Amino acid sequence: MITSDHKGISMRKLILLTLALLVSSAGNAAVLKIATVTPEGSEWMEAMRAGAREIKERTDGRVEIKYYGGGVMGNDDKVLGKIRIGNLHGGAFTPAALQSIYPDVSLYGLPLVFDSEEEAAYVRDRLDETLRDGMSDNGFQSFGFAATGFAVLMSNEPVRGLEDLRGKRVWVPEGDTISYASMEALSLSPVTLPMTDVLTGLQTGLIDIVAVSPIGALVLQWHTKVSYVTDLPLVYTMGFMAVSNRAFNKLSPADQQVVRDVMDSLYAKFDEKNLVDNKDALQALLNAGVELVQPAEGEKARIREVLARSNRSMAVQGDFSLELYDRMMQYVEEYRSGQEAVAGN
Amino acid sequence: MRSTGILGLILACTLTSGCASLVSNAASGLADSLTSGILNNDDPETVRAGMPSYMIMMDGFVHDNPDSPAMLGAAANLYASFGAVFVDDPARASRITSRGREYALRGICITYAPACSWRDLTYDEFVATLDGLEAEHADAAYLYSFATLAYLRAHSSDWNSLAELPQAEALVKRYLEITGDAAKASAHMYLGILLTLRPPALGGKPEEARVHFEKAIAMSGGRDLSAKVEFAKGYAKLLYDRELHDRLVVEVLESDPYADGLTLTNVLAQQEALLLQADANDYF
Repeated sequence: MITSDHKGISMRKLILLTLALLVSSAGNAAVLKIATVTPEGSEWMEAMRAGAREIKERTDGRVEIKYYGGGVMGNDDKVLGKIRIGNLHGGAFTPAALQSIYPDVSLYGLPLVFDSEEEAAYVRDRLDETLRDGMSDNGFQSFGFAATGFAVLMSNEPVRGLEDLRGKRVWVPEGDTISYASMEALSLSPVTLPMTDVLTGLQTGLIDIVAVSPIGALVLQWHTKVSYVTDLPLVYTMGFMAVSNRAFNKLSPADQQVVRDVMDSLYAKFDEKNLVDNKDALQALLNAGVELVQPAEGEKARIREVLARSNRSMAVQGDFSLELYDRMMQYVEEYRSGQEAVAGN
Repeated sequence: MRSTGILGLILACTLTSGCASLVSNAASGLADSLTSGILNNDDPETVRAGMPSYMIMMDGFVHDNPDSPAMLGAAANLYASFGAVFVDDPARASRITSRGREYALRGICITYAPACSWRDLTYDEFVATLDGLEAEHADAAYLYSFATLAYLRAHSSDWNSLAELPQAEALVKRYLEITGDAAKASAHMYLGILLTLRPPALGGKPEEARVHFEKAIAMSGGRDLSAKVEFAKGYAKLLYDRELHDRLVVEVLESDPYADGLTLTNVLAQQEALLLQADANDYF
């Protein structure tokens, strides 16, 4: 009987302990703290907040997402540092931010790889999953990539070819080693500045040329200090959300699935809408008086040839995966051959 | 009664020649009374229901007095205010604020010719025209700024609006320069809003904005509650300053909304403060 009593007490204790743990786990929501430079009040941020509400609702409050918008948590390096020590759990990034952690995420952003959105979409259908897996292997869950349009050259003198770039000071974002190497390959003079100093740099003549997407130019108000935009899809830009595996893996598998469902769907919508927005943004730039300049005959091919050599040489020296780079370029060729075949018929 | 009397006079005068300036003055006086009646009303729904009739009436006055800056200004004010505050349907808000801005542009175009081409200029060209604005153009410049901000808010998903924000900011700054201490407090609030639309990481200037928000609040002796709400929304939320946010929200909610010329906006500000309060735990 004593044994039985002991067993009885132990069982009660076990049940109570289990209940306590259940209650405690229901009462302590997992909070994913996400930093982003996206401004509060923007459509993007509103959509991200709506996604957070949906996640909270569908997980019965077990998963909360707190956003820190407008870059309030500091630049990419600071955000990554805070993620490392657990003060933040993720961020909405551009590829350059994760270049040091997973360099392959910058592959789409190599200069003059893609000719059009359609070409990029063809390649991304075949490579996005590999890049997502690569990010996961390197410590981050992502939920798909959202294109933000091609960065194009904007300047105060028309740029129709390589010669128009000679002697000009071309802005390169801080920490963007790929763009820096590309500028050097073209024998140009890159000037590295933080994004916040670019407008003043354009005003004072510290820089003459920027490469930025039309959306970026409008948000940053750089369109007030440039007169020309060159119709050349220089760099495919995109953004994504990355949450540290350490934080994500603390969620139950069911809750992880809810986060994935909501965020994947959100980023797929961004991916689709941003392309439309970028076209509208380019039109708004032209409406505001910025003039569209076409590259001179043969110049696009000439610049692409130099940059293709530079891109491959970066891959060979291990700046990113040579195998993935070659696969990407093979898909590009595949798409172009397909288009030529269609045109030939 | 006063309004009816003026209306009777206007109707009589429209049948005769030589009454144009009298009509203009009377209607302009009516517009002032209307504005005062609207701003001192404590029931937003009454104003929402009643304003359209007066807007249509102002259309008539403008039609008969197309060159009257006062009439155009009053019409611009009514349309811009109504479109920005009371219209939820985006297509309607677009139409109404567009008309408000058109009236405001016609108004300033009469007194300041370079303004006639403002809509067609690049940013640098636009800014170059601002140098000629003097104190005598202040009221028209203020109205055009206000009508433009109402228009841009109603068209916030249009990339052309985003492209135009720097011009709006430059104009409000110039207005504050030419008016100095005589500037309307709300102009400081508008500049505060414009300077906080972008976070510092994207070139916004929240600390500069803070000065303007605080100036707008100080100029009304703290009675203008909408300035406090915009300070909380624009600055405190942007910088995740919860202490400031909550303090401002509590101040707004605990204040008496009745103040000459501010009652309606104060009542609306208190409604918005309640929403800010309800959302704060999720946001911060």
